[in-house]
This record gives sequence, C-alpha cells and structure tokens, in this order.
Amino acid sequence: MAEPASPIPDPVAAWRAWISQSEQQWNALLNQAMGSDQYSQLMGRMMETYVTMQKNMAESMSRYLGALNMPTRTDILTLGDRLAMIEDRLAGIERMLSAAGTSAAPTDRAPAAAMRPPRTKQPASGAGTETAPAGECRGT
Amino acid sequence: MTTPGAAPAGIVIETRVREEVERALLRNVKGLEYLSAGAPEMGLTPKDVVYARGTLRLYHYRPLAPEVYRVPVLLVMSLVSKAYILDLTPGQSFIEFLLRQGYDVYMIDWGVPRPADKRLRLEDYVLDFIPDCLERIRRDSGEPDVSMIGYCMGGLLAVLYEALHPDGPVKNLACFTTPVNFEGMTLFSQWTDKRYFDVDRIVDSLGNVPPELMYASFEMLKPAARLAGQVRLWDNMWNDDFVKGYRMFDRWAADQIPFPGECFRQTVKELMWENRLYKNELVLGGRPVVLERITVPFLHVMAEHDHIVPYASAKDLVAMIGSADKKELLLKGGHVSLVAGPNASRRLWPQLDIWLSGRSV
Repeated sequence: MAEPASPIPDPVAAWRAWISQSEQQWNALLNQAMGSDQYSQLMGRMMETYVTMQKNMAESMSRYLGALNMPTRTDILTLGDRLAMIEDRLAGIERMLSAAGTSAAPTDRAPAAAMRPPRTKQPASGAGTETAPAGECRGT
Repeated sequence: MTTPGAAPAGIVIETRVREEVERALLRNVKGLEYLSAGAPEMGLTPKDVVYARGTLRLYHYRPLAPEVYRVPVLLVMSLVSKAYILDLTPGQSFIEFLLRQGYDVYMIDWGVPRPADKRLRLEDYVLDFIPDCLERIRRDSGEPDVSMIGYCMGGLLAVLYEALHPDGPVKNLACFTTPVNFEGMTLFSQWTDKRYFDVDRIVDSLGNVPPELMYASFEMLKPAARLAGQVRLWDNMWNDDFVKGYRMFDRWAADQIPFPGECFRQTVKELMWENRLYKNELVLGGRPVVLERITVPFLHVMAEHDHIVPYASAKDLVAMIGSADKKELLLKGGHVSLVAGPNASRRLWPQLDIWLSGRSV
C-alpha cells in the first residue's frame, strides 16, 4: 500500500530532485558544446601539446639519466621486450608440448580438478520462459 | 485540510527535522571514517590461475554449487577496464551469482598492458589469445563446449572471435553493451575526428594510450556527474550501504588501464573512422569478419541510459548476427549499473540465467 501523501512539501526531497535535474541539464548542455567542430579542434590541439610535452620530457630525462650513467626508460623497456619475447616463446613451447600429449599444466590443479562437482545440473522448471520483470526490460 | 491517514503537519515536520539532524551528525562521524578508510577490497571470489601468458590471466572460479551445468562459461573482459567490476563484493558479484546458480566459471583478465604490449593488435586477441584460452578451458574442464559472455569491448572481441571461428567450441554467446555501429558513438566519433585527431602521432609517441587519457575521455561523456556524485555522497554519508557502493564504483572508475597502442590505432582507424565492422569490411589476419557467420544462440543486452556505448551504436548487433536463436534485451540502467550493483542483481543477472541455463546442458 502506498504511503499517504505528506501535507507539507519536503524541501530536502526537492533539493535532491533539483540536483538530479541540474546534473542532466549540465550534461546535456556541455555535451552539446563538446560535440561541436571547434571542440574537436581544441581537443586535437590539446592532444598535440600533451604528446609533444611527453616526448620532450622523455628526451631530456633520457639525457640526464645517460649523463648520470643510469639506465633510461628505453633501456628498461628493451629489457621488458626481451622478457616478453622469452615468455611468448615459453608459451609456444608449452602449447607444443601440450599438443604432443605431455601435460605442461601446473600439478597443483590436479587435486582441485578431482574435487569438482559433477556436471549434472539441470535448469529449474520454468527456465526458458524468458520473461522480464514488468517495466524493466524490452526484448525482441 | 489533512489527507485522511496522514500524520498531523506538526508531527511530520518534527520527525523530518529530527531525521535530518541525526543524519547531519552521522555525516560528520562517518565522513571522518570515509576519509581515513582504505580502498575497499574487491574481486575476492576464490579462484585459481589456469593459465598465464604475459599480463593475461585465465582464472577458474571455485564452484559454489553441489552440481554444475555441463557447459562451462567464459567471461571476456574489456581491454579498457579492470575485470573486478564483475566481482565487486560478496552479494554484489556477478561471478558469485553465476557460481551459486551452478555455472562453472572461467574469466579472461587481460591485466594491465606493459609498454611492450603496445604492439598488440585486435588479431592478437581474436586469433591467438581467445582461442588459446578456449583450448585451455577445454582441457581443464574436459568439456568440448563453452558459453562465452563478453562485456563492452570484451563483447566486441567475443563477436569478432566467433565470426572468425564459427566451427569453434563456443556453444552460446552473450554480449553486454557491445558496440557495432561506431557512428552511433557520437561524442567519441566527434572527438576522434580524423581532421583533428592524429592517432598515429599519439601511438607512435606514447606507445600505449595512458590511463589518464582514457579516464578523462570517459569523464567528459558526463561532465557534471562527478560533482553531482560527490554532492550525493555527502547527502548519503549516513548510509553505509550507499557509501560502500559509491566507494567501489568510484575506485573502479578511477582504476583505468592503458589501451594497447596498436589496438587503439586499429580501433580508431578501422572502427571509428571507417566503421568497417558495421559495413562488413573488417579484415583480421587476412580473413573478412562477417557477423552473419555467427550461428550459435546469441543474446545481446543493452542499457537504456548507457552513455559509453549508446543504444544507437549497439542496437544493430542482433540483426547482423546469423543465428536463428537470437535475442536482444534493453534493460533499465547505465553502462556499469547494467552488470554490477544492486540493480544488476535484480535485472540483468536473472535474465541471463533464464536464457543461459536451458542452453548449458
């Protein structure tokens, strides 16, 4: 049963409704502005500036680190690349071994797999009727 | 005149004032707790790593039901967000729900791309990683069939995979909020306008697209949402459930990951600029991607108020799929609340269970 209507307007509820409404209005207004050609142009320029700044910073940092006889980010990334290549090759070898019938899976999976429940579950009667709560969904 | 059954005005005002004063006091006490509390723990459902490759982890979740459906389920996550959105917290976890309903659940978590992953392209995900994981699941579960569920860009990867492997092990395919017509992503299309957006320079200079750029672009879709959200947080600071939910979603939204550079270049050029998937002109690994080749039972669920993947960009997916058994649902909610949180547990999850259970034996 619905609660009886309050005789007094609730200012807090009105304030909450105003917040939600304002949010929607501001989003719509700003999205309209951000959907303009000028905004895309501005974004493009900002991205250009960001990328240039990042690049310049990386270059000068690389020079400083080189002068201090320390590895640069590029050096670390090169090492990372080589590690990734080794990982890929290991994965390839593991796949080949598995395909050849030799299990390369970790051994600690075996007990866990043995304890798994049977795959015998059947859907509850009524499954497949595929109805949705009223007003909650539209299907085709 | 007073409405019959309503309390007298004086009592109503007194009760309301008392309630607001109590809430104001609680706001102060709990506000201090909020500021000093650590990040909420998420993604806690017990799981094992079945397979690891680079940053990719294939998880198998430990069953929570005495018997499970024959066909295991594989969840494919998006490339641009962390996987724990599907495993928020006990009672609000999609994965926990699936386990309790009797599904055997696996998930591909792409992890956080490393600088070396800038070379990864859509082909790597669709022609290598997903088939590799499906093979691992086949061996781990002993079952030849798998149901695949993809969320957001994970759904896109899942349909690309299935279109290129129509004879593969996928028995059922469900996608949540998956874009297919990129012209429908109005703001993203406008922001990546090829006249002004130099994607080559970005990827060539930065490698992977930094997470702060991804975060800023998602925030710009609803520019007033952050401020309004903080006002609502303050208003509801007395309410522990609200604060807990806010903290979880806020942490996830801010926890963005880099977008692998080559994949970003491909997404912008082939999908955003040329809309090749929608035009059936997308070619991956020398093979054309034709969605009509997907013939397995198919479900697509969209959110009415999705600001990231708007309805216009997702609505044509079902029509393009070749399956005879296909269905689309448009549910109330937004891009994230569709899959996670209290509303998802009342809307999407039971709908998916109804659709999938009968097809999982």
